[in-house]
Amino acid sequence: MLAKNTAIAVLCALFALPVMAKNYTINVHGIVCEFCAYGIGKKIRVLPFIDPAHYDGGVKVDIESQQVFVAIREGATLDKAALFNAIKSGGYDPIEITEISDDPTLSETEK
Amino acid sequence: MKLPMLVLFIGLTSTAYAHQPVMDMAPRWNNGYGIQTRVTHANAETTTWLEGVYTFKPSVRMTLKVPLSNGDTGDAIFAMPIKRYKNAGASTSNWGLTPSVRMPTGGGSQWDAGLSLSYSAENRKVYQLYDLYALGDSAGIDVNVGLVHANGKGSSWFTLWDITAKDSDSGQHVLTGPVVVYFKRNLILRAEYKFAAHDNDEKWDGDYFSFGIGLVY
Repeated sequence: MLAKNTAIAVLCALFALPVMAKNYTINVHGIVCEFCAYGIGKKIRVLPFIDPAHYDGGVKVDIESQQVFVAIREGATLDKAALFNAIKSGGYDPIEITEISDDPTLSETEK
Repeated sequence: MKLPMLVLFIGLTSTAYAHQPVMDMAPRWNNGYGIQTRVTHANAETTTWLEGVYTFKPSVRMTLKVPLSNGDTGDAIFAMPIKRYKNAGASTSNWGLTPSVRMPTGGGSQWDAGLSLSYSAENRKVYQLYDLYALGDSAGIDVNVGLVHANGKGSSWFTLWDITAKDSDSGQHVLTGPVVVYFKRNLILRAEYKFAAHDNDEKWDGDYFSFGIGLVY
């Protein structure tokens, strides 16, 4: 009986763990001003896998380092092609993407 | 929804600076559009310009300018800027070729063709624009060079120096002076003052003032 209760408790604990979303950073050529940042953010925010609860509607642009940070919804899968197309349609050139964290709130503190 | 909005900004032309680009690089995203109004004062005349831009994609846009002066509408200018961008790390630049036409919407009957060749470049510190143009019986060059001040929180200031030289049937003049541009999200403000460094133009007299406000979507 004790073993059964323990197993149930462990299962409950496992299911209670949050499913961590992921953050990514993209190196983008051509970002030089706040207006560039606005245009890129506008195109990325409409993507269905972006989590608007983090950053500024799911996106943060650092013009100093030409990095774009995106937060992905819990349970969603990053569509790299769609993300890169969104950046290109904003007028800029995405170079490479890197996963930076399993928890978007970690990067939230860096804002 | 977007194109009809542009129709509202069909317009005309008046005296100087009809050739100048509408918002230069903005908006540079696909299917972006912008509206802008500028109030200019020159030669004892105040003109309100209504301007619109639609960006099909960063390399292809269309623009429309309409001047209003003393309650009258002038000749509208329609243009199709074709741009070739180069993004390289922390800088972006573009070459632009802009055919245009000035339409006799102000009551005349003369159509004028125009062509502009421009280059602009920007990094996190410096902005520069060079625009060589011809429109109707006038031709000239416009240069904007200056500093970019981004605050990292969604807004930027540009402090520029402008030199504008124009040759037309009435003579030549060179104007120069400061330009201040402010961006915040989708808002653009631009203020200019230029004085005549050279004036051999019988139709030009005095200084030039301009203030503009624009929104992009």
